[in-house]
Amino acid sequence: MSRWRHPLPWLLALVGYSLWQQADGWLGLLDGQSWRQMGNFLATSWPPRQDQDFLALTLTATLESLAVATLGLAGALLLGIPFALLGSRALSLAELGPIPSPLRGALRAFSRLIAILLRSLPELIWALLFVRLSGLGPLAAILAIAVSYGGMLAKVYNEIMESGALQPARALLLGGSDRLQALCYGVLPAVRQELLSYTVYRWECALRASVIMGFVGAGGLGQQLELSLRMFAGGEVVTLLLAFILLVTLADGLSAWLRHTHSPGRQLLACLGLASAMAIYQLDWRMLSFSLGGLGRFIGEFLQPDWSRPFLLTVGTGLLDTVQMALLSTLLSALLALPLACLARHCWPLRLLFNLLRSVPELIFASLLVIAVGLGPVAGILALTLHTTGVLARLFVETLENADQTPRLALQLSGAGPVASFWYGLFPLVSRQWLAYSLYRGEMNLRAATILGVVGAGGLGQQLYVSLSLFRYDQASTLILAILLLVWLAEGISRRSRLPRPAPAQRDCQIWIGSKLPASSRPR
Amino acid sequence: MIAVALDGSGLRLGESRILHPLRLQIEAGECVAIIGPSGAGKTSLLRLIGTELRSELALSLWGEDPWTLSTRARQRLRSRIGMVWQQPPLPASQPVVTAVLAGRLGQWSLVRALFSLLRPCDPEGARAELARLGLADKWQQRCGELSGGQLQRVGIARVLYQQPDLMLADEPVSALDPVLAQSSLDALLAQARARGSTLIASLHAVELALERFPRIIGLREGRVQFDCPAAAVTPAMLAALYAGDQEALPCIG
Repeated sequence: MSRWRHPLPWLLALVGYSLWQQADGWLGLLDGQSWRQMGNFLATSWPPRQDQDFLALTLTATLESLAVATLGLAGALLLGIPFALLGSRALSLAELGPIPSPLRGALRAFSRLIAILLRSLPELIWALLFVRLSGLGPLAAILAIAVSYGGMLAKVYNEIMESGALQPARALLLGGSDRLQALCYGVLPAVRQELLSYTVYRWECALRASVIMGFVGAGGLGQQLELSLRMFAGGEVVTLLLAFILLVTLADGLSAWLRHTHSPGRQLLACLGLASAMAIYQLDWRMLSFSLGGLGRFIGEFLQPDWSRPFLLTVGTGLLDTVQMALLSTLLSALLALPLACLARHCWPLRLLFNLLRSVPELIFASLLVIAVGLGPVAGILALTLHTTGVLARLFVETLENADQTPRLALQLSGAGPVASFWYGLFPLVSRQWLAYSLYRGEMNLRAATILGVVGAGGLGQQLYVSLSLFRYDQASTLILAILLLVWLAEGISRRSRLPRPAPAQRDCQIWIGSKLPASSRPR
Repeated sequence: MIAVALDGSGLRLGESRILHPLRLQIEAGECVAIIGPSGAGKTSLLRLIGTELRSELALSLWGEDPWTLSTRARQRLRSRIGMVWQQPPLPASQPVVTAVLAGRLGQWSLVRALFSLLRPCDPEGARAELARLGLADKWQQRCGELSGGQLQRVGIARVLYQQPDLMLADEPVSALDPVLAQSSLDALLAQARARGSTLIASLHAVELALERFPRIIGLREGRVQFDCPAAAVTPAMLAALYAGDQEALPCIG
């Protein structure tokens, strides 16, 4: 019985099946024609286009992305903070005693449920929906970020507040203070730094997300990128990509500085104020239109999902494709990242490569690869692999550097070679951590695989994009339910198979990546 | 044949001087105990001989200076040296049998080493060494599941399995009770006698050192205070060696 519980044979079977099923796509990789096309595209891409007009356009688009991210986060805070407070046990008067209070318990459960619903759909899917509702332009992106990040902020704020000591707030409540006072005097002092640093980190994520959303027509750098890609204007693509990498690097540096500085409050306010001023100045407010009548009809159609049998079969295929993409790419990138991480300890250009791979989102890789290998899941798998290899390799290198080197050195002192001493002395120390990282990235990849279809890289996202373009909202509704199912399944599995928590000393070394924190590795 | 010869100007780590100039020669097959108060430089001396640290001291092992050799030749030389560490550096998730087998990595080819990770290639040999230290039943457990004393004995078993020509032991029995300490030390000494290999051990248990080792080196504040046969060590010499130490003579280990 326990034989069948072991995940390895299942994993291998699934990998074999997906290789067999996507055989055509993989063979396409060997086709000279497609690579020639990619070559032509690359040939036009150097030098990058740098005339005055285009640079001005790039700057405008970049500022627009920045504005979208900042306003989106502001919206997320407005939405997230009330839900976080409603769902929190840290400030509950009913917990004192406790007084049985089913109504308050139900309210708390309800607010948590809403937060889960909001954050379960990837932000790009939200953007796709809002584009239908409010038309092309930045408003859709702002709303999408506000909604999905609102849910995430509610969840993580809640966790942070409850992870801090509950005693101080409880003591204040027992002393007769009301709940907001207890929040300010009992909870916030302990967790203020952590809340702020998480918010800054979210802002950085929102910036990346705002670029991605341009691909579905929600304005900013991403929209320009998509246009240039469609016109096969390689030079423009490179200029825009460079602008994007610069923007992300700057945001990365800024957020690292804000998180490590001792009193971030004032600087944070200054930065956010500056960014929002720029944002408000930059945005073309005429673009912000919203029709309430449309909303009603929209929701009405969404409430009638398409349950017909042939369509369900199609959805099933898309579901399987998505899972395959996530699985294969995670496996491939873990296998690639292992030797690369070992090499990178002595070779710094590799680290630069990891950072480059890491900072370019999967969706941009996918939109480039679709040119080379054609529409379909293979492009998605390769795109996910490229991005994930960068992320995993960087995490692996960090683990290697933080691991205790004495077992390896001891073996080398007794004459063992470098490879043997790695496998005997260092690998056992890092293997569990690496497995945990890979599993966590697998979960992230499953979410990412649902959106890659937007640029034609297969999976559920592609079907959703098509059905929304055809105004088949009933089908879109079924597909969204399928995506929700997948995301919840992945979370459930990863929670069940969660490896033992790393030691507190190790937890601090982990960085926050992707769009969600691993519950086990958040520094407390 | 001289197994270990040290001659030169000592050792500095940063600003502080760990070892003063010293001369030391140890014949192949000799068993030597190094005693002295904490911080005397016992561990540093062993790390110097084990080629873990490098200093201006001229070190020669079996007539060769390890630091003038090529990297490959130095690794070959190192495979003849076995270290017993005070806190054995063993990965917690590694099976005990693999940890013991790792002693011979310097002698194995890479292919054999990698295959042995999947399926231990000489479990009987490892078990035999573990049995000599009273750990025969632990070979399938993981290192992290063992107590400090058991782990220290696994470290000894690894060196016994390595069968080196020079065994360096840094407080090899510090975590063991008196009876186990004696039997574990005896296993090291028996191996040295049987294979004719050299054993240099630093010990806190003075009486155990005097009883089991023919030659004693007393080290204090980085200087060799005395270097003589065990029979010639007098209580006065010991008192001078440990003078000013808060604790009186360390009790029998």
